[in-house]
Amino acid sequence: MVSNRFVLKRLLLLFPVLFGVATVVFAILHLSPGDPAVVIAGDRAGQEFVEQIRSDLGLDDPLWQQYVRFLGDVATFDFGQSYQVNRGTPVSQILVDRLPITIELALLGQFAGLLFGLPLGILSAVKQDTWTDHLTRVGALSGISVPIYWSGPLLILLFAQFLGILPTSGRIGSEYFIEPATGLILVDTLLAGNVPAFQSAVVHLLLPVVVLGIYQMALLSRMMRSSMVEVIRQDYIRTARAKGQGSKITVMKHGLRNAFIPVITVIGIQFGSLLGGAVLTETVFEINGIGTLLVDAISRSDYPVVQGTVLVFAVLYTLVNLAVDITYSVLDPRIEQ
Amino acid sequence: MASNTKDSSRRDFLKRAGGATVATASITTLAGCGGGNDGTGTETDDGDTGDGDTETEGDTGDGEGEETTRLRYGRGAHSSTLDPQNTTSGEVAKVTNQAYDGLISFQVGEASLTEGLATDWSMDGESVTLTLREGVTFHDGSDFTADDFIATYRRFVDEDYEYYFEDASVYGPFTLGNWIDSVEAAGDYELSITLTQTYAPFLRNLAMFAAVVISQEAIEGDTNLGEEMVGTGPFQLETLDDANNRIRLTAFDDYWGDGPNVDEVLFLTRGQNSTRAQALVEQELDIIDGLDPDSMQIIEGSDSAENRTATGINIGYMAFNLSRVEAFRDRRVRRAISYAIDTQAIVENIYSGIATQADQPIPPALFGHNDDISPYEHDPEQAQSLLDEAGYGDGFSFTLTTFQNPRGYNPAPLPTAQTIRTNLAEVGIEMSIDDRQFSDYLTYTSQGRHDATLAGWYTDNADPDNFCYVLLHPQVEVPDGQDWVAWDTEGYNTSNNAAWANTEYMDLVEQAQRTTNQDDRAQLYREAAQLAHDEAPWVFIDYADEVRGVANTVSNYTVAAIGGPFLEVVEVE
Repeated sequence: MVSNRFVLKRLLLLFPVLFGVATVVFAILHLSPGDPAVVIAGDRAGQEFVEQIRSDLGLDDPLWQQYVRFLGDVATFDFGQSYQVNRGTPVSQILVDRLPITIELALLGQFAGLLFGLPLGILSAVKQDTWTDHLTRVGALSGISVPIYWSGPLLILLFAQFLGILPTSGRIGSEYFIEPATGLILVDTLLAGNVPAFQSAVVHLLLPVVVLGIYQMALLSRMMRSSMVEVIRQDYIRTARAKGQGSKITVMKHGLRNAFIPVITVIGIQFGSLLGGAVLTETVFEINGIGTLLVDAISRSDYPVVQGTVLVFAVLYTLVNLAVDITYSVLDPRIEQ
Repeated sequence: MASNTKDSSRRDFLKRAGGATVATASITTLAGCGGGNDGTGTETDDGDTGDGDTETEGDTGDGEGEETTRLRYGRGAHSSTLDPQNTTSGEVAKVTNQAYDGLISFQVGEASLTEGLATDWSMDGESVTLTLREGVTFHDGSDFTADDFIATYRRFVDEDYEYYFEDASVYGPFTLGNWIDSVEAAGDYELSITLTQTYAPFLRNLAMFAAVVISQEAIEGDTNLGEEMVGTGPFQLETLDDANNRIRLTAFDDYWGDGPNVDEVLFLTRGQNSTRAQALVEQELDIIDGLDPDSMQIIEGSDSAENRTATGINIGYMAFNLSRVEAFRDRRVRRAISYAIDTQAIVENIYSGIATQADQPIPPALFGHNDDISPYEHDPEQAQSLLDEAGYGDGFSFTLTTFQNPRGYNPAPLPTAQTIRTNLAEVGIEMSIDDRQFSDYLTYTSQGRHDATLAGWYTDNADPDNFCYVLLHPQVEVPDGQDWVAWDTEGYNTSNNAAWANTEYMDLVEQAQRTTNQDDRAQLYREAAQLAHDEAPWVFIDYADEVRGVANTVSNYTVAAIGGPFLEVVEVE
C-alpha cells in the first residue's frame, strides 16, 4: 500500500509546482499588452483618472515589487480581489462559486466516458478483429478527431434548431431559480426537492456532457482495448484458461484488474484535459464555470482572477495525478512508491 | 456576491416547498422547459404549465391560479455590478435603469427630456432649481426626499463624505463632480444646485444612468450596492444569479409611475449573437439586443419574432493623429483621404445597411445636427489632386490602429480597415493595419501612439456637447497659429484622439456650453459641425442603427437609443 511518506512528499512537491505556475502566469500577464487600469476606467476616462486607478491597485510599482507582493499573497492563499467582477469581490469567493459548475461538468463528462468507453474497449479487445471491433475502433478514432468547438455547435444545430427537443444553451431553464447549496445544479435541484428544475437541468446538461464525453469515451475505449489485448496474451491468462477457467471470469477477474493500470493513468491525465475541455464546452454552451471565467478575465485583463484560476487548475491537476498514483498501488500492490 | 440567490424571498421558499410535490410533473413540462418552448413567455411559476395542483402549491404568493407574466430580455454579457456609480458600462445600465430613477428622464425612444423624480426644473446661469416628486417610495420602504439625492451625489464625488464610494466610476466627475459647486435642499422637495459655470448640458447629465438616485438609508447603512439595488424604479431586484449569468427583477407595487405591466423581468445572457438570435426564434427569449447582420437574418426568417431598428446616437470614425503624423496637419491631406475612402461602400456592403453614412460629428437624432452637410463622396481624382497640391502626390505611409472585435458603431473593424487600405492604395498612400484587442487598443490610443485610429462613441447624455466637446476639444491651451496640440501637453483630453485643436471650433463649442437657449445652441453646433466637416480631423464613417429582436408576443416596446430599455411599459401576451 501507499505510504504516508509518499503522499506527504507528493503534497510537498505541490509548492514548487505552484511557485513555477504562479511565476509563469505572472510573467505572461505582465508581458502581454493591455492595461487593467484602462479597462476599469473605461473609454470615458482621462489619463489622470487611469493613473489614479493604477496607483490604487499598485500597478505603478516596480514589477519585482508586484511579483513579491503577489507571491506573498498566494502563500497565504489570498488571490486578491477581482478588478472586474463587482469590483472588489475576493477571487477566492468567485472561485468557490464557479468551480463546482466546472467540476460537475467534468465529472459528468468523465462518467459518460467511463460508462461507454470501458465496456466498448473490453468488447473490442475480446472480440478482436471482428466487425464489432472494427466498428468500435472507427467510432473511437472519429471521437478523438472531432474537436469540441465543432461537435458542440453541430449538436446544438441538430437537437436545438432542427429537432427543437433540447435547449440551445445554459444549464437550467430560465424560470428556475435554485438556492445554491453545493453549486452542483443536479444536486441542488434535488436538495430543493424541485423535480421539474432537476429535469430541466438534466436536459440542459445533456448536450454539453455528451460533447465532453465523446472524446473521453473514444480515448478510453482505445486505451482499454490495447491494454486488454496485451493482458489477454500474458502467460498467466493462458495458464488460467488452460486450467479450465471460463473465459469470462478470466478476463473480468484477472485480466481487467491489470489492464486497468495504464487506463487509470489516462483517466488521471484526461481529467486535467477535461477541465481544459470544459473551457471550450462552457464557451460553446454558455455555461458560466471556471472556463468562461478564465476567458472573460483574460480579455478584461483581470489579473487576480486569471492568476487565481490558473493556480486552482494547477492544484486540481496535481491532486488528480496524486490520486492516480495512489490508485496504482491499490490495483497492483507490487508497485512501490 | 457569491451564491447571489440570497435575496430569495418567502415566495421562493414556498415555490421550493411546492416543488417537492411536483414529482409527478408531466413530460410536457420537461419538454416545455427543456426546449424552452413555452411559446408565449407567459408561464405559471415554476414553469409548471397545465398542472393545476402544482400551481396551487407553488403560487401561494401570487394567489391561486394566477399566471406570472415574465419578460425575458437576452443580452450579450452579464452585469459586472449592480452599482450605477461603479461603471461606465451600458450593459449594467440596462438593469439599473429598471430599479432606479433619475431626477430627470429621457422620453421613451427620444432624445428629449421628461419628468423623473423631479416634476419641474429651471436653469438660470449657474443656478439650477428642481422641484421633487412627493409620495415616492424606495424599494426599502423609505420615502424619497431631497436628502437622498444629496447623499447619492456625495457618495459619487465628495471625498469628505463618510460614505464616499472609493471605486466611483469616471462618470462621477464627468457628469456631476466637474460641474457642481454645491447642492442644497430647501425643504424635502426642493433642490438647488449651483454650478461651477453656466453649463447647458447639465440637465441632460442628470438624466444619465449614472446620476440615478439611491436611497440615503442604503448608502449610509450596510447595503452592498454592488449586489443590491435600492431605488424607486418600476422593478426591484429579486435574484442576482451570477452562477448562471442572470438577474430576476419583480414588479415594484409602490412604483410612482405607469406600469410595470409584467410581473417579472429576467435578464439572461447569451454571449454569442447567433445563439441569442436562435434563442429568440425558439421563444426562449422575448427581447434581445446586440445584433449583427448575420444574426438579424436568423430572425428575419422566422415567424415568431422580428427585427426592429431605430436611429442610433453614435458615430464611427477614423481619427488622424495630428500630434504624431506631420502630413495630417495639412487639411488638404485630411480632406484628400476623406475623398479617397469609400464610406458609402463600407456602410452598405460591410455594415449591411444597419448604419447610415456619416458626415459630421453630431448624429442626426440630436439637435444641432447640420442637415445641409452631405458626406464626402468617393472621388479618388479629387483626392489625388488635393494630395498633389499639398506636396504628397507621391504618397506617404502610415499605420491605422484598430480594435479587433465588432463594436456597435463598427460591426466589422478589420474589413473596414482593409477597405480603407485598398482605397488609399489607389491614391498612392501606403497604409498598414495594426489590430489590437480592445483593452490593449484603449491603452495604446490613450497614450497617443497611433498614427490614425478607427474609433467610435455612444452618447452618454444625448447632447451635442457629448460629441463636440468630449471628442474634438483638446481642453488645453493651444499654441498660436497651430490647429493641433502635442499629446503630452499636461491636462490634454485624450478622448480627442485626433489631437485636433481648432480655436474657431473650440470657441463655438465653449459658447454653446454657456448658451441655455436651445435654438441658439443648435445654431452654434450647426456651425461647429460644418467646420469639423470641412477641416476633416476625422474621416466620418457611420451612424449605426440600434437593432433589437422582438418576439411577436411582446407589445408596447420601443427601441430607445438613449436611456431605458423602458420595460415598465412593455406587455407580454
